[in-house]
Amino acid sequence: MASTAPLVVRASPLRRLQKELFGSRLDGLISIALLAALLAAGLGFFRWALFQAQWAVLSANSTLFAVGRYPVEQQWRLWLLTSLLALATGLSWGLLRAFPGSGAVRALWPRNDRWAASILVVLALWRPMALQLTLAIQARWWGIAALLLLARWAAGRYGPAIPQACRRLIPLFWPLLYLVGMVLISGGLGLVQVPPSEWGGLLLTVLMATFAILLCFPLGVLLALGRRSELPLLRWGSVIYIEFIRGAPLITLLFLGQNILGFLLPGGLAPDRVWRAAWVLTFFAAAYVAEAVRSGLAAVPAGQLEAARSLGLPMPLALIHVMLPQAIRVALPATVGQFITLLQDTTVLSLIGLLDLVGTARTVMANPMFLGKNAEVYLVLAILFWTCCAALGLGSRALETRLNTHSPSAPQA
Amino acid sequence: MTSSPALMIEARGVEKWYPNGFHALRGVDLYVHQGEVVVIMGPSGSGKSTFLRTFNAMEDFQKGSIVVDGIEISDDLRRIDAIRREVGMVFQQFNLFPHLSVLDNLTLAPVKVRKRPKAEVERQALELLERVGIAEQAHKFPGQLSGGQQQRVAIARSLCMEPRIMLFDEPTSALDPEMVQEVLAVMQELARDGMTMVVVSHEVRFARQVASRVVLMADGEVVEVAPPQQFFTNPQHERSKQFLSQIS
Repeated sequence: MASTAPLVVRASPLRRLQKELFGSRLDGLISIALLAALLAAGLGFFRWALFQAQWAVLSANSTLFAVGRYPVEQQWRLWLLTSLLALATGLSWGLLRAFPGSGAVRALWPRNDRWAASILVVLALWRPMALQLTLAIQARWWGIAALLLLARWAAGRYGPAIPQACRRLIPLFWPLLYLVGMVLISGGLGLVQVPPSEWGGLLLTVLMATFAILLCFPLGVLLALGRRSELPLLRWGSVIYIEFIRGAPLITLLFLGQNILGFLLPGGLAPDRVWRAAWVLTFFAAAYVAEAVRSGLAAVPAGQLEAARSLGLPMPLALIHVMLPQAIRVALPATVGQFITLLQDTTVLSLIGLLDLVGTARTVMANPMFLGKNAEVYLVLAILFWTCCAALGLGSRALETRLNTHSPSAPQA
Repeated sequence: MTSSPALMIEARGVEKWYPNGFHALRGVDLYVHQGEVVVIMGPSGSGKSTFLRTFNAMEDFQKGSIVVDGIEISDDLRRIDAIRREVGMVFQQFNLFPHLSVLDNLTLAPVKVRKRPKAEVERQALELLERVGIAEQAHKFPGQLSGGQQQRVAIARSLCMEPRIMLFDEPTSALDPEMVQEVLAVMQELARDGMTMVVVSHEVRFARQVASRVVLMADGEVVEVAPPQQFFTNPQHERSKQFLSQIS
């Protein structure tokens, strides 16, 4: 139909809206009723949010929501880590702009970036005040936001001046930061140990999610390759693993992990409760990532492997340099979707007694002082999770665009 | 044997059954000497591509023996990789790596397999691209090239491994007619430089001008082997006559 339809001159948006909503008398009635209902709901929400809701439940417990029962005298380590993260984010952001994908135009502050920076500034200025944090802590957040933007500007401005040899080392900054972060959080190397049982809130949620996301991906790739292997033992092992995990609900696996790992491993080796949960999350997500990567591998034409092998590339090299780069590009959207699910699945940890964001929320709401403040807490948690997931989704789309500049359909350079 | 050029491919009594029981090759023999260009022709389903693909172990076979450049093909994976390093292959569908630039397509295998320094390989790759007439496309991606250009890149990619034998599996069958000639010209020049080549193709003119010998296969067997002049003007076998009448 679309191909034969005549070209329609597009009416102005207002005119189209009018035509859609009030095309006929019945349409008009339905529209008015629905709009009235929406308006009532909106007004009700704002009345609640502005006059009835008591946001003190959040400002009074902001530290608990942020880091759980992390010892106060050690919290400087987390501030240091947040600053390092802001620095790394700013640098990476700026360098991405300094070296856009081939064909893209280089601009220090593209329009989307100006928007992102403005939102960041507004959030950084308003959020700490809205939570009624002490001035010292407000100032720290302002400093961290300023650091991020400064790094972003410096890297975007002076990035191209960095010599080639150093530039190769820059991506190593992130894994290094992860290791430094783990030491800062858990202690060791001269720092006081903070056991995982004292981690909580956003810290625990983010830690669990990043740990599982980082590890489930390589594991999933290996499983996907195993499932396509010609060696029966490897193939059937992968198939049984993937199908078993995909057939079991996460919550049962988490309970199983808490109970069974203690029996399987000798006492000292069995990881802490928190780490047990992290490993279960990792193994759980790996099975789904494996299926995404498998579909990506199936999308690569058979001739690619033949060509690679005919050039004398042994199987591992052919997989690494020819098959996987193409397969992962296809599997990327589904894989990031899995990461987003994984981030949301961390909320299940509250059911096995861990104090992640939702677990913290449940303890806070059990406090007689804040009884009945469920709506305020859950609304903020929902927005927080939505923001993280939206960021992941946006990041994945940016990555796709960047990869696609190298794809066959790219415009001629 | 001592006076004639070295034997590069020696296939004796090769038999292949597909897993579904189809008898694809029924005891095929072929000897290819250094510097020879052998063109294999035959109707579709005659097993000519399958036969070609046994020379670099892309297809396995159940009976007979194949010795390539002094190395006998067996299940030994290291031997197979050794053979593949010496034997280049060009496919009907080009099979360039779409995620790599033209230059990286050429340099991948020499750098990763032969462990040669990248700068040196890149210099050689640019020379090869010059030779096949597309040096100016070195930094484009395969999807940005025409079919004829892609196939020429594929030939250059194989040559970058400095093979001693080149196999061509219907290299012009997937090309638009106006691009066939540019690919054949590259192959012709390669033959003139003394490369040992086995070509599965329907290009009669190419076979007439370039081939040392033409092989006709039908139903998994070699029907006739003859110099091109004799094959095209005076075929000996009934099956050859029939085939030639069909393609002309």
